[in-house]
Parts: sequence; C-alpha cells; structure tokens
Amino acid sequence: MNEERQNERDSQLSAMFDGELSVAECDLLARRLARDEALRAQWSRYSLIGAALRAERGVKLHDRVAVRVQAQISQEASYGDSTGGDSALAVRPTVAASAVGGGADRWMRFARPMFGAGIAAGVAAASILWLRSQESPEILAANPIPRTVTLAPDTTGGTVAVDAAAAIERVSNGEPERYTTPAPSNSISIAPPARLANYVVAHSEYSSPMTRRMALLGLVASDGTGLPAEDAAPAAPRSEAGSQDNAH
Amino acid sequence: MTAEESDLVLVKRVQRGDKTAFDLLVRKYQHKVVKLVLRYVRNPAEAEDIAQEAFIKAYRALPQFRGDSAFYTWMYRIAINTAKNSLASRDRSPIAYDLDLTDPEESHSVQTKLQDPDTPEGMALTEEIRGIVNSAIEGLPEELKTAIVLRELDGLSYEEIAAAMECPVGTVRSRIFRAREAIDKRLREVFEGGLGRTEEMV
Repeated sequence: MNEERQNERDSQLSAMFDGELSVAECDLLARRLARDEALRAQWSRYSLIGAALRAERGVKLHDRVAVRVQAQISQEASYGDSTGGDSALAVRPTVAASAVGGGADRWMRFARPMFGAGIAAGVAAASILWLRSQESPEILAANPIPRTVTLAPDTTGGTVAVDAAAAIERVSNGEPERYTTPAPSNSISIAPPARLANYVVAHSEYSSPMTRRMALLGLVASDGTGLPAEDAAPAAPRSEAGSQDNAH
Repeated sequence: MTAEESDLVLVKRVQRGDKTAFDLLVRKYQHKVVKLVLRYVRNPAEAEDIAQEAFIKAYRALPQFRGDSAFYTWMYRIAINTAKNSLASRDRSPIAYDLDLTDPEESHSVQTKLQDPDTPEGMALTEEIRGIVNSAIEGLPEELKTAIVLRELDGLSYEEIAAAMECPVGTVRSRIFRAREAIDKRLREVFEGGLGRTEEMV
C-alpha cells in the first residue's frame, strides 16, 4: 500500500474513532479492522493517547482487559449469521451459503402451502369419488347405513345404546355423550345423504360453521325419506350439535 | 455522524456475529471503564478484573441492546453495577478471616487489597506515558495542538472545532489525525514493541 493510501486509511481510522466517519465508510473500515491486527493496535493507541491526555488513572500500555475479554468471548457463540467466526472473513462463507440456499428456501416457502392444499384437495376428491361409488344399490345393500345412537344409562347400572332422538329427550338437562355407529337399515333412499352427512360431520373441523350448516340443511332438505322439508328441518340442529361435538 | 452512531455500527456488526467489532469497542473504552471502576475499588488489578467482567456481561447482553442510548452510556451502567456487586460480594466474603495476619506475606497481601495499591511501577508507567504524550503535544504546531485538545479534552465534534478554528471540517479531520500520528510516533519510539500489545510482551 502506498503512503498516500495508507495516510487516507489512517485518517479514516482517526475519524471513525471520533465518530466522524459516514456509516458506510465505518462499516467498510470495520471489516478491514477485523482482519488487520496492526490497524487494531493503532486503534488501541488512539484510545491510549486520549486517556493519557485526559490524565486518566490506570492508563497502561497493554491491552490486558481487551485481550482477556477477547479470549473469553472467542469461546462463546457468535450472534447473528456468523457461526463463531472471529472476523468478517469468517462470516463470509456463511453469508455466501445462505445466499446460495436463499432461492431454494424462498421456493419452499411458497411451495409448502401449495403442497398442503394439493394433498387436501386430493383427499377430498378421493373421498367424494368413493362416496359416489357407494351410491350404487348393490353396494348400499351390502353395507350398513350409519345411524346416530346415544349411550344412555341402563336401569341395571350399565350402558345401552338407544335411538338418538329418544336419548336427547331423556337427557335433556345434560349433554348426551354421542357417537356414530353403523346400524343396519333397509331404507336405501336416505343412505347417500346420511353418508354424506356423516362425512361432513367427520370433516367438519375443516369447514366453516356457515358452510357446514348450509351443507347439512341442504342434505336434510334433499332427504329422500318422503318427509316434508319442514318436518326434516328440526333434525338439522341435532346433526349440527353432533357435528360440533365431533369437531371438539 | 456522531461517536454514538459510530459505536452503533460496531454494535450492529457484533450483533451480526463479528466478535472483532466488540474487541474494537473494548479497546476504545477499556481505559474509561477501568478509570470508572477505580472510583469504587482502589486496586488497579481488581479494577481491570471488574472491567473485564463488565465487558463480558455487556457482550452477553448485546442482543438486547437496541441503541436507545449510546453504547458507552449503557456500558457505563453495566460497569457501575458490576463494581457495586463486586464490592458487595467482597464484603460478604469470609476470606479475610481465614488469612493469618501474623504471616508478613499474607498480611501484606491483605493490605494490598484493602489500601491504595497503585504500584510504584504502574504509577511510573502511567506518568511516563502521560509525560510523553504531553511533551509530544507541546512539540506540535499550534493548529494541530488546538484541534486535538478541543477534541480529546473538551469533547467537541469536528463541526464545532471547525467553527471554533474557522476552517473546513475536512481540515479539522486532517489536523486531528496528524496530531495523533505525531504523538503515536513518539510513543512508539519510547515504548518500541510495547504499544497495543499484551502485558506479557511489554
């Protein structure tokens, strides 16, 4: 380094020591200081000169405190991006590595939710196809149709499964414990909506309350039992209550 | 840019993992911190130990430092608390009672801890450094001497010095740098190889 450049650098060091250098120049010089022990020693001497001028007590030529502190913190973990490097040079590979990996990380950040949504959509589509296939009379005849039953205390102290409507009346002052179990039935006409209702109930945690309510109302309204929609409507809150129980 | 902002650049570098930037802060403030601690303990060696502990505490707490205050103001508080805690723990320490004060060596050791223990060698060194710096300043051209004195003793900014000396800020920067270089050169001539080194090398 020629004398002029060295003088300019030393002048910058003096200005940085006094806090009179721009942030950008300061940062650049700090990087230089990180790998130049002679420059750091000069920095120390500027501190020593100031202390001597101010006639501070305990001014010593050595940097014992700084040397001890440096030795101790070198054994401690670095903060930030660096992985323990003692200089800006040591930081560089980490920064470079993160820059290389940055594109992949960014891609993964956007791709992950897309994968999740794709998987969810696939499962939903498969479920719907499976339910559609269950609509054929042959399969429906072979498979039992689920009905909602309720566990109720027996007079003997045991527990028996009873019809849900009856059970709700019986335990009207308390929350009945419900579960859904397959029960045989010959009523083929209500099977598809009931299965779909069970599916909706089972997956209710993935749908909004309004969507759930609308789906259930639609199912009840399209119920093929021959009952009028007005008669079937009261069943909706029960199903909904059941779905909430299941959801919780 | 102020000294606080300059320190903040170094602090941010430490927070990003550059430990050497913390070394620069320690080198810059070690004399001030030791001087501060010497208000609480009279033993320079003990003051250095406390200063060291304070800097380590500061390093560990640095991730929480947001720059609301100047780094030295923050460091100042840590150093004072560390010195006070050290005094309190020393008061609670029963070590002094375990010493045999009839033993001249141990008695001297205790006296060294309890009384002003600035060793003659240490005092002489401080005085010698001070003497060299002062004589170097006396030998400087008037404009360099004024600039460095206004900066180091009066703590004026370059802009304030420029106003006082009726010259551009760039000239002030150059004058202060040249004054430091002249003093540094004189110190290096006297303490060849000893400046900016560890104690063992002095």
